[in-house]
Amino acid sequence: MRTHRRSLFPLAVLLAALPAFAQVDLSGTWADRITEDNYERSGGPPLGDYQGIPLNDAGRMKADSHDHSEWSLPEFQCRPHPGPYQWRALGAVRVSQEVDPVSREVVEYHFEYLRSLERPIYMDGRPHPPDYAPHSWSGFSTGKWNGNMLTITTTHLKGAYLRRNGASFSDNATMMEYITRHGEYLVIVMIITDPVWLEEPFIQTTHYELDPHTQLTLYPCTVSEENISTAVPHFLPGQNPNLGADDIPAIGARGGAVSIYPEFRKKLKDPNLDAKEVAKTEPISRIPPPAPKPAPDGAIHVLPVQGNIYMLVGAGGNITASIGKDGVLLVDAGPADMVAKVMSTVLQLATAITASPEPNHCLGLHCAQTPAGWTSPSLNSVISSPAPPKPVRFIINTSIDADHTGGNEKLAELPADSKIVGVTFPPVGIIPSAEIIAHENVLHRMSEPNIGGKTPVPDASWPTETFRTASYKLSQFFNGEGVQIFHLPDAHTDGDSIVFFRYSDVISAGDILRTDSYPVIEVDKGGTINGVLDGLNRILDLAIPEFRSQGGTMIIPGHGRLCDTGDVANYRNMVAIMRDRIQDMIHKGMTLEQVKAAKPTMDYDGLYGSTTGPWTTDMFIEAAYKSLKK
Amino acid sequence: MKHKMAVLFVAAGAFLAGTRADAHHSLSATYFADKEVKLEGKIAQLLLRNPHSFLQIDAPDEKGVMQRWSLEWRSSGQLGQAGIKRDTLIAGDDVTITMNPSRTVGDFRGALKTLFRKSDGFGWGTKPGETIE
Repeated sequence: MRTHRRSLFPLAVLLAALPAFAQVDLSGTWADRITEDNYERSGGPPLGDYQGIPLNDAGRMKADSHDHSEWSLPEFQCRPHPGPYQWRALGAVRVSQEVDPVSREVVEYHFEYLRSLERPIYMDGRPHPPDYAPHSWSGFSTGKWNGNMLTITTTHLKGAYLRRNGASFSDNATMMEYITRHGEYLVIVMIITDPVWLEEPFIQTTHYELDPHTQLTLYPCTVSEENISTAVPHFLPGQNPNLGADDIPAIGARGGAVSIYPEFRKKLKDPNLDAKEVAKTEPISRIPPPAPKPAPDGAIHVLPVQGNIYMLVGAGGNITASIGKDGVLLVDAGPADMVAKVMSTVLQLATAITASPEPNHCLGLHCAQTPAGWTSPSLNSVISSPAPPKPVRFIINTSIDADHTGGNEKLAELPADSKIVGVTFPPVGIIPSAEIIAHENVLHRMSEPNIGGKTPVPDASWPTETFRTASYKLSQFFNGEGVQIFHLPDAHTDGDSIVFFRYSDVISAGDILRTDSYPVIEVDKGGTINGVLDGLNRILDLAIPEFRSQGGTMIIPGHGRLCDTGDVANYRNMVAIMRDRIQDMIHKGMTLEQVKAAKPTMDYDGLYGSTTGPWTTDMFIEAAYKSLKK
Repeated sequence: MKHKMAVLFVAAGAFLAGTRADAHHSLSATYFADKEVKLEGKIAQLLLRNPHSFLQIDAPDEKGVMQRWSLEWRSSGQLGQAGIKRDTLIAGDDVTITMNPSRTVGDFRGALKTLFRKSDGFGWGTKPGETIE
């Protein structure tokens, strides 16, 4: 028995000396040694070689349309390597950690890559952002230790490349990384799952070596004119001259899940099989189809954007709100049946921002100048109640659509009906009603009597202030900044506007931009696909990224998540590619039904397509076709 | 001794050539590595920048129409280390260049292979390590 006690004592000492978690210090500068797939990492991979990447048919179509001159687009010249590619890029990574000074726990890692961005890995248990939050090139990452392995989960990625030849992942991808340290080596296993362009998860292992002599030098990037021949470089289906140019056997080069397994080597030796046959004989889809998007929860969610600007999500189309000392300005009003919820949310927000009690700093001699009472300033500061928030002063309609204008009437009526919103907002008698501003084509379409002599929309919802010029601006600052409205002709409709908040640096884009579907083009209301494209380019002209094509000017889409330059560029490219494909088919004399049957949108349908609902893929093709035939 | 020095220089050249490439996009995906085009023209401007510098020259295309050509070059840091500064090449200099042309028909650009300035014989692209990566 005594022997047992003796043997347990050293064990207890040992256990006490071990940290609570078997986490490993990852700090330091690590250099890649390029021992994996060197042929594709220095000069670049052969075009059309997707071997080892489990592309599905849509992903293959996307890759085949890739023209590498795309990198010369102003928005892409400084695009950093995206998170899923970064480990395979050339250079080094510096890992540092932030430590809670009290608990001594690592609360955040920072990965700084030579030619990319600093990437935070949150270790403090925070949740991933909601789906309407912006995406970035590196994504949003959280980590936790499992034994001696750091497991990182990354969501909110911007769509980009898996290999620098067009093989891509989409905005909907999720990346897992498993990092272990073996002495002076880091081993990173990256697994990316993408329901849009991959039929199975893509797995890649890379190793780095500790190298204290490696420097992470300054790496500025400057955009310049690179003399490319087309606005958005890409190849039409079947016209990419570079595929197969490097004498790579097509059976392997076409990629797909079959090409990632060891058994595939045997098939490569069979001279009688071609890629299509392999794909036919071995349909593999081990990842389940994407779960349907959850239905809206009926609530209005608020995303603070920057400066005075907030994005209200959940009322059909997104609503942009400027809230401050001058009152409230709304870009779009949501549908009529959401007015009460919108108003209630705006009230809560305005109260929190402009009418919340502040901590009392008025103490003794320090509050002699306070305006809160003359004789007992300190006490009056404590008991004073802040003035209520100021009302909705302006509503700007970006188009005529009911999901953007339906709330005009009720939101412009002030004070708000307390029976609707449950409170009186704002106090009676401040300002009679809000101005409703829109391009005059919105008013024309709202007010033009139909065959029965009725107007499409009750006059109380009509704009009270219209403009017919290319732009319009509020006559003075609102909430401390200038507000400009730009008319984008013949885009989603003929009355579209975008609104630019110059100090907050936010553009409210209306339905020119949406991340949840192909652009809605209402041909009967003057919409055209070329107008949408011009509108997206106009947004890109106005927007300035914070760094490496992300951040900076933020763009609130009519529907979907908050965007920046990189997102708008990705969407613009998609619209340009769709336009060019459909235009080419028209030139070839194809009918609308033939165009639909040719599935020109197949590669992007997983992101933007739909077979049901108010705007299907077929409806988009038809609208684009008709507007291009005009 | 001479022989030893030569071996040393070759080794150093190979080492430098094999150090960290500064590729951002893929050069082989952008340009035909197996095709070479020769142009004679005047320098319009030199844009020293990352991830790649661009030398822009005005020169006729194959139809004889004057075009502005963008020639992709090494990063500003790499060119600086090679002694090429902002005033090394100036607008109006008559130059002869060779380049790997763009894979995209209609792009007036290429990856710079060699450069020769007629006025003083200044050149780039013929010595070890003088390649873009």
